[in-house]
Amino acid sequence: MLPHLDAAYTLAFWLTRDEDRARDAVQEAYLRALRFFGSFRGEDGRPWLLKIVRHACYEMLDRERASAADQFDEEAQGADGAATGAVLVFPLGPEAAAIARARRELVHDSLRAMPHDYREVLVLRELHGCAYKEIAAIAGIPIGTVMSRLARARRLLQAKIAGQVKREDTGT
Amino acid sequence: MNCLETARLLNPYVDGELDLSAALAIEEHIQACARCRASFEGLQAVRAAVSRECEFKTAPESLRLSLEAGIAGEGARSVVSLLRSPLAAAAPGIAALLLVGWLMLAGAPNSGRPPASGQTRVVYHISASDTAGAALRNLANHLNAAPELKAVVVAHNYGVDFLLRGARDDAGELYETAVRDLSRRGVEFRVCDNTLGRRNIAPGEVIPAATLVPSGIAEIGRLQSREGFIYLRL
Repeated sequence: MLPHLDAAYTLAFWLTRDEDRARDAVQEAYLRALRFFGSFRGEDGRPWLLKIVRHACYEMLDRERASAADQFDEEAQGADGAATGAVLVFPLGPEAAAIARARRELVHDSLRAMPHDYREVLVLRELHGCAYKEIAAIAGIPIGTVMSRLARARRLLQAKIAGQVKREDTGT
Repeated sequence: MNCLETARLLNPYVDGELDLSAALAIEEHIQACARCRASFEGLQAVRAAVSRECEFKTAPESLRLSLEAGIAGEGARSVVSLLRSPLAAAAPGIAALLLVGWLMLAGAPNSGRPPASGQTRVVYHISASDTAGAALRNLANHLNAAPELKAVVVAHNYGVDFLLRGARDDAGELYETAVRDLSRRGVEFRVCDNTLGRRNIAPGEVIPAATLVPSGIAEIGRLQSREGFIYLRL
């Protein structure tokens, strides 16, 4: 019945990193969407709505002054460009389920820990499948910035995952 | 295409954002250059990790219901279908009209439909069992602050539990006592019959102070669109 609700909730969850806050942000966003409907110019409704969701999330986070929790571990910076696909291959074994769970947590935690400028472009691209043009409209940034932030976000994530796997390898 | 250009365009390449000639040039370079190929594979691996491990979420059913109830009414449905279909929204005039229609039907502030008697009409929607106690307390406070209030409680889903015979709150008190007090003060309690059917609860289980309505959600929509109630969800 409601258009784009899952997309709105997914974005809100990854921006606020919390189910309850995502819920509140989506409620707020839909009410605003209806209030702002006069500004809707007949373009695709999804980016328009996601833009309102994004705004509602950041307003909520600002209110909560949650930025203290936003510090990303930048130690991975030195590994920029050095990480390759090989380190993402995980060993298979009798503990395959536990390993899969650990890997999932690692990717989740890394994404959650990423600064929101990078996290939002990555989520919109990989989970929502948005084109650069749509991301630019939603986040209110030039397409060139979308491109550079996306590249940076992927490097950060790659290095974070690779770093963690290397530590686990040498730690045992 | 050299390594520097490839590195710069690798992200738009994997995202399908390059035109054909640039994409072909990248492919050619990746075939020839092991270092750039490794970067490409690393990029694909991290993309796969995100899309595999970080799910596209499904909004909770309670959120969906609450939003639907909150924007119930014909106007809202039209707005929603417009949002869904970009072509149909080409006329801003119609959009503005629908927006006004929605505001009126939803009984929002500044709506064009003043309550008939200056009386505040509120429908409380209770859809979870653990919020019932707080809802009843809020409702009593609401009545104390605004004695002319007309309140209807619509219970739906697990929100019906507190209106069943013998149901007690965390302190061990019968909910029925508080419900009767509020009933005497003019509050009406309505229970969703669909919920009872779905959860195999006999209508006789419901305390006498509450009445049954065929659908809790439809009731909320009706109260808002036809009777000028505003919506509070607890």
